Amino acid sequence: MKQHPLCTDCEPEVDVTNLPIPTGLKQEWSAVETRRQFLGRSGKVLGWAALASLFGDAALRGGAIGADAKTPVTSPGKGNLGLPHFAPKAKRAIYLFMSGGPPQIDLLDYKPNLAAQYNKDIPDSVRGNQQLTGMTAGQSRFPIAPSHWAFKQYGQTGTWVSDLLPYTAKMVDDLTIVKSTNTDAINHEPAIMFMNTGNMNPGKPCLGSWLAYGLGSMNDNLPTFIVLQTKTNPKENNQPVSSRLWSSGFLSSEYAGVGLRSGGDPVLYLADPDGIDREVRRRMLDAVEEINRQTQADVGDPETNARIAQYEMAFRMQASVPELTDLSKEPQSTWDLYGPDAKQPGSFAYNCLLARRMAERGVRFTQIYKRGWDVHGDVVGVLPTLCAETDRACYALVTDLKRRGLLDDTLVVWAGEFGRTVYSQGGLSKENYGRDHHPRCFTTWMVGGGVRPGLTYGETDDYSYNVVKDPVHARNFNATILACLGIDHNRLTFDYQGLDQRLTGPQPSTVIKGLLA
Amino acid sequence: MIVAERVTGAARRFVQGTRVGKSIWVSVLSGSALLIALPFVLRLDGRGHGDWLQFLGRFHPTLLHLPIGLICLVPVLEIAGAKRPALREAADFVLRAALVLALPTFALGYMLAYGAGDTGATVTRHMWGAVALCIGLMLSIVVRPAWVAREQAFPYPALLSASILALLWTGHQGGSITHGGDYLTHYMPRPLRVLIGSGSKDAGGNSFYALHIHPALDAKCAACHGSGSAKAGLRLHSYDDMMRGGKDGAVIVPGKPEASILLARVTLTPGDPHFMPAEGRTPLTSEEISWIRAWIRAGATATAASVPGVKIAEDRVEPPPKPVGDYSKLVPEIQQMQHGLGAKLVPLSAKASDGLILRTVDVSSSFGDEQLAQFKKFAPYIVEAELGRTAVSDASLDTLKTFTHLRALHMEGTSITGSNLAKLSSLSQLTYVNLSGTKVTSQSVEPLRKMPQLRHLYLFNTPAEPDGATARSTP
Repeated sequence: MKQHPLCTDCEPEVDVTNLPIPTGLKQEWSAVETRRQFLGRSGKVLGWAALASLFGDAALRGGAIGADAKTPVTSPGKGNLGLPHFAPKAKRAIYLFMSGGPPQIDLLDYKPNLAAQYNKDIPDSVRGNQQLTGMTAGQSRFPIAPSHWAFKQYGQTGTWVSDLLPYTAKMVDDLTIVKSTNTDAINHEPAIMFMNTGNMNPGKPCLGSWLAYGLGSMNDNLPTFIVLQTKTNPKENNQPVSSRLWSSGFLSSEYAGVGLRSGGDPVLYLADPDGIDREVRRRMLDAVEEINRQTQADVGDPETNARIAQYEMAFRMQASVPELTDLSKEPQSTWDLYGPDAKQPGSFAYNCLLARRMAERGVRFTQIYKRGWDVHGDVVGVLPTLCAETDRACYALVTDLKRRGLLDDTLVVWAGEFGRTVYSQGGLSKENYGRDHHPRCFTTWMVGGGVRPGLTYGETDDYSYNVVKDPVHARNFNATILACLGIDHNRLTFDYQGLDQRLTGPQPSTVIKGLLA
Repeated sequence: MIVAERVTGAARRFVQGTRVGKSIWVSVLSGSALLIALPFVLRLDGRGHGDWLQFLGRFHPTLLHLPIGLICLVPVLEIAGAKRPALREAADFVLRAALVLALPTFALGYMLAYGAGDTGATVTRHMWGAVALCIGLMLSIVVRPAWVAREQAFPYPALLSASILALLWTGHQGGSITHGGDYLTHYMPRPLRVLIGSGSKDAGGNSFYALHIHPALDAKCAACHGSGSAKAGLRLHSYDDMMRGGKDGAVIVPGKPEASILLARVTLTPGDPHFMPAEGRTPLTSEEISWIRAWIRAGATATAASVPGVKIAEDRVEPPPKPVGDYSKLVPEIQQMQHGLGAKLVPLSAKASDGLILRTVDVSSSFGDEQLAQFKKFAPYIVEAELGRTAVSDASLDTLKTFTHLRALHMEGTSITGSNLAKLSSLSQLTYVNLSGTKVTSQSVEPLRKMPQLRHLYLFNTPAEPDGATARSTP
């Protein structure tokens, strides 16, 4: 019987192997146990997580370096390998998430023949009989609202781009534009869940968590997966975005996204209080860890290990985050590129700049959320603001990565949770209109490591209502992102609730080979 | 006159020798004359003629296999009949049945071509082959009785063989119309191709047209608009023919994609009656369409080597990386090494032969030339060295030149001056070098520019390229 330091009423030691629990859980426990014993033997000079920083996290994961093709690094009950399945084109990814559903018809999906059909009803044959949202299902008419903005062709690819996106227009020859993205959900919450986790219901791990779990960290001082939220603009229709979207679900919490705050200190209480120096903090953490390790020994809950790892990460972030967010050494060329917005913490441009700095510092996955794209009404009033906030910054990020040689092994993704309807929600006038949610087709783009530049993939019908060629379902979209990072989406699994869970869900999904370089 | 008399005499004797009534001979010969005259009366002029003809004509492919089978059966029955006379009797019936089916098949085929306005060399050959086949069958039937009676040993086998040859030829031409001329040889292994001397249908050369436009059109369009068949008078199998256009004039207007009918037709909605390729054939991919558009915009020449802005993966095929050797014996040493230095050697992927990445991001400021030198032992296994923002200097190149499998070298933000970058010249696998934010000059990176396989050279924020204007040396 072992005495827990905090336990006054001691219980007999639990032997997990004799408990009436599923074998998978026991195997998982014993995998963690082995790791614990290994670290125990290594001595407790700095605590195991500190040791880990010396060994490299590869050692922590069961010795990635010791593994070869014959013995893939997998813990029992887990599909985790800590290494890509095959040589990746991209080491890291930056996901620009346009929450709310950008209207593809006003941005990149040019439909020249809509102008002649102003205020006519969308043909029933096009609209079909699928369900609409409650916001427009009751409308007696579905009048076509052509885009208020003119489109021009840009680049050698002759890609049509709206006048709202003058900066994006400059880089169309580098982009892989997907006009045929489509999803299953028509309302924000299930749709944004679906894009991020491959499932409409909350509780599944998101793309970033799967990447952290499958590929591990590239550095010891910053989280593997960081989330940046853009400050909201009260003029825009902001849908809620919160940590449920960067949750690790049933994966260990160490794979969850770490959100940096958009204003003030990026991480709260990051600085040590007066009178506490680095040495004292270290000793305090060592003591806490000792207790946690004892708890882990007694209870065998992997979440305790996650907590230990997070304490250590927080300790290292005390040093690394101030350096990350210190933009004073950025050359003038940076500000010329990103524009004045980038000096405002919490702006989309600022977050894009931070994303580039994180890419340089070995952050595996950065997700930037920009809310406000939910333009049910007043498209003409709101959309220019949204584009002004994001267009230049997107261009700046891609250009900055490109000129610094980072775009070769970084994948940048621009996507929302769905698109918007061709017909007007509410009143349609020559001056203004609204657009409702539309999951049947929307436009996204990718650029960088793994995808083919200068490509427009997929086509929609004349009303940008249905996909007519090369559909890219959200599941396949995610499978393709994983493929760029060297992961076979069918083999990155986690045994949970009796199912080999994966990002793309139990349904069959495919990598869209046509998008790959 | 004597010669003519002799020929007539021989013909008369021959006709009498066949033991077939004169009236039958007259009808066979006049039938043949009708078949031969038909194409001159109802010319295949490339114009469509009525839905009825096309509707019926489309049953041609469903019917044609039946007479083919019967014709092929005839020689089998004749040969087997040497032992079992009953079979030889059947051969006569089969031969007649074949003719009875072949004539309507020919008629339907002619209706198809005439109705749909098909023209072209393959269509013409197919038609004449069918005429020859029908005449051959009729004559075979007429001369057969004499052969059975062992009076004329030669004419029947000769005519039957000729008919079967005509059948093979006609069938092949028909297949070429449906599937395209190179259907049979498309996947022929190269040695065989060389053996039979079948030249590939490449447009020749390395121009953008020859490499990307011609193959796409050849695969997707040339079955109907090619050397064999020229619907609407349009042929796309060669550059000159394509630029000549069809009955509606030019299909490509150099510099003006929006005015080019070819592009307009392939970009219609697939359901549109004018959409090309028609009849449910495989459409062009959106990528092929984008190449055609860019190519037309760039002037639609046959010779331009590249079209600005179009980056095609095949254009920059990088040779597959050489696998690194087996380093499994060194694993304990590698672990020891990273334990001491904090720099890591991380496998690129789960496949060991993909090699190792040298990762220094956690120890960057304390990682210098001396530390790098300690990785010399693992040099052949390192495919990527991430040395950005470390303390390495020009001296590090002496170590790096031993990294024989190195493909990517990150040295951005280091104190490299570039004085001895020539030392990297021997690294034949190196495709990526990042020297952004260093002191290298355009002169000092000259040795790197001479390395043909080095496609990605980044010099942003250096004296060589202060504004990073040409960040990517080759896109």
